[in-house]
This record gives sequence, structure tokens and C-alpha cells, in this order.
Amino acid sequence: MRKYQDMVFTTSARLVKNDAQAEDISQEVFIKAYEHFEMLSTSPAAGGWLKTVATNLSINHLQRYRNRWRFFSELGGRADSEGEDSPTIEFAAPDTFFEGVDADERRVWVEEALAQLPEHQRVPLVLYHFEDISYDEIASRLGVSLAKVKTDILRARAALAKILSRGGESLEALSH
Amino acid sequence: MSTNDPEKLEASIHRLLRSIPDRRAPASLEARVLGELSRRAALPWWQKSYAYWPSAVRAAFFVGSALAAALIVSGLFVLVRSSGATALAGGVAERFSWLVLARELFAAANDRLRVLIGAIPSLWIYGAVGTVAVCYATLAAIGAATYRTLTFARQNP
Repeated sequence: MRKYQDMVFTTSARLVKNDAQAEDISQEVFIKAYEHFEMLSTSPAAGGWLKTVATNLSINHLQRYRNRWRFFSELGGRADSEGEDSPTIEFAAPDTFFEGVDADERRVWVEEALAQLPEHQRVPLVLYHFEDISYDEIASRLGVSLAKVKTDILRARAALAKILSRGGESLEALSH
Repeated sequence: MSTNDPEKLEASIHRLLRSIPDRRAPASLEARVLGELSRRAALPWWQKSYAYWPSAVRAAFFVGSALAAALIVSGLFVLVRSSGATALAGGVAERFSWLVLARELFAAANDRLRVLIGAIPSLWIYGAVGTVAVCYATLAAIGAATYRTLTFARQNP
């Protein structure tokens, strides 16, 4: 458990954006793992299994919450409009964001930037870049259209780049 | 450095996100998991799901359920075939004769209601339905606007 607990917790926390809920989900993941102990104890894919279960439980958690509010949040159609053209947004290239910043600082910075994204952008972005799930699979898991997933991820990347650029300037200013 | 090439941005964001180390899990997680496992292990078998019951109990439950089902089916069969079944049916019908009266009362009330509704001008009915629909839509719009305002405020503090 000690070997995988950081990975399981991080997977859940990035998706649900709430440490207490991520801890609850992580607990459930390890209890499920205990129930499948015989299969997992000898399997080289135990880490992948735990990550998949953590991802699925986190998505289930978000779906339960989202279903409760879907009607109101989609009534205006502003945040979840589908099939829009790709946005053209100027952004700074993130390769240069973290020059001279250590890994822990970088992690905190990126996690905070991710947390600022709205859920409908953060969740597909995390699933695509951290969990290596395809656009099609994300659309089917989240119950939204492929076009919406692509638009949301595109916008999430641009928004993340913008947030990190802003943070980079302030960090630079602080370091002087 | 600034760019608007989505492919370049995708590659950069991917590299950036994949370079981020995992967060440290809370120190309480391990204790919580072990505590929950101990709590579940301490539960007696009858408070767990069927899969966790002892084999002998599962077999006994299966046999007992099959016997109970057979007993009920054969009992019903014997009851229907017996000479007292008609008398029993008559007794039951007599006991529930009030249901017939209730049905007649309901039918009479229904007839009166239909006559009453028929006397109301249709314009009034359309007006009432329209008013209810407008009130419903207004409340839904207020709720949605409030939710979206609060959500937007939370996401963009």
C-alpha cells in the first residue's frame, strides 16, 4: 500500500479537486484492492489496476455530483456549449515557465493552476494527459460528445498556459 | 515566447504535466484503510454480503429457500384443488365487499368532476395552464441564474 498510496491519492485529488474526498476515494480503492489481494499480490499490473480503479471511482463521484446539478448548470448552455470552433488564444509556451524552479515548487504551482480550471475542462485534461485515455474513451466515460471533449481540452490547455504565465510573472517578481 | 500552435501547446503541456511528481498521500490514509479493514473483518457473517457467508450456511440457505418455495407452490396447488376453495373465495369476496362500494363512489365522484370541468370555459383552463407554466419557467430560470452566478463566482474568485 505504501508503494502506491501517493499515486492513488494524487490520481483522485487531481480529478475531484478536494483532498478529503480524494482520501475517501483512496480508502475505497485500497479496500477493493484488499478484496482482490490474491490476484493483485502476484500481478505486475497492480499499479495500473489501482490507478484505473482510482480513476473510475473518482469519475463516479463526480458524475453523482454533476447529475444533481446538470439541469441548472446546462440550462444557459454557456459553459457546456458543444461543437464550437477551436478557440484562437495567444499563450506563452510553457517550456520556459519553470526554469530554475525545483520539482516540489513546480508541482504545487501546476496543481494550483489545475485547480483553477472549471471541472468540465480539468477532468478531461487530467484524463488525457495524466491517465493517457483517448478522446473517444473520455467522451464515453463522461457521457459527453467527442467535439465537446476536444474543445474542453483545447481550452483547458490554453487556460492552464495563461494561468501559469501569470504565475510565472508574479514568481519572477517575487524572486527579485 | 508566445505561440498559438495547438500541437506545440499540447506537447508542451503534456511534457509539463508528466514531469510533475505525485502528491504525498495524507499520513492518516494508511491508518484509515487498516481501521476500516479491521472493522469489516470484525463484523459477524450475517452482517456481510452473501459472498462472505460460510459455505455450510450458504448451502443451508440455498436448500432452505428451495424448500420454502416448494412448500408455498404446493400449498397453493392443494388450496386451489380442494373442495373448500370455492367457499373460501366466497368468504374473501364477502369480506372485501366494501371495495365494490368504494369503486361506485369513486365512479360517481369522477362523473361529477367531469361535468364540472366541462362547465368551465376552455379559455380559463388554458389561462391556468399557461400561468403555471410561466411560474415554473420563472422559478427554473431564477434557480439556474443563481446557481450559475454562484458557480462562476467560485471558479473565478
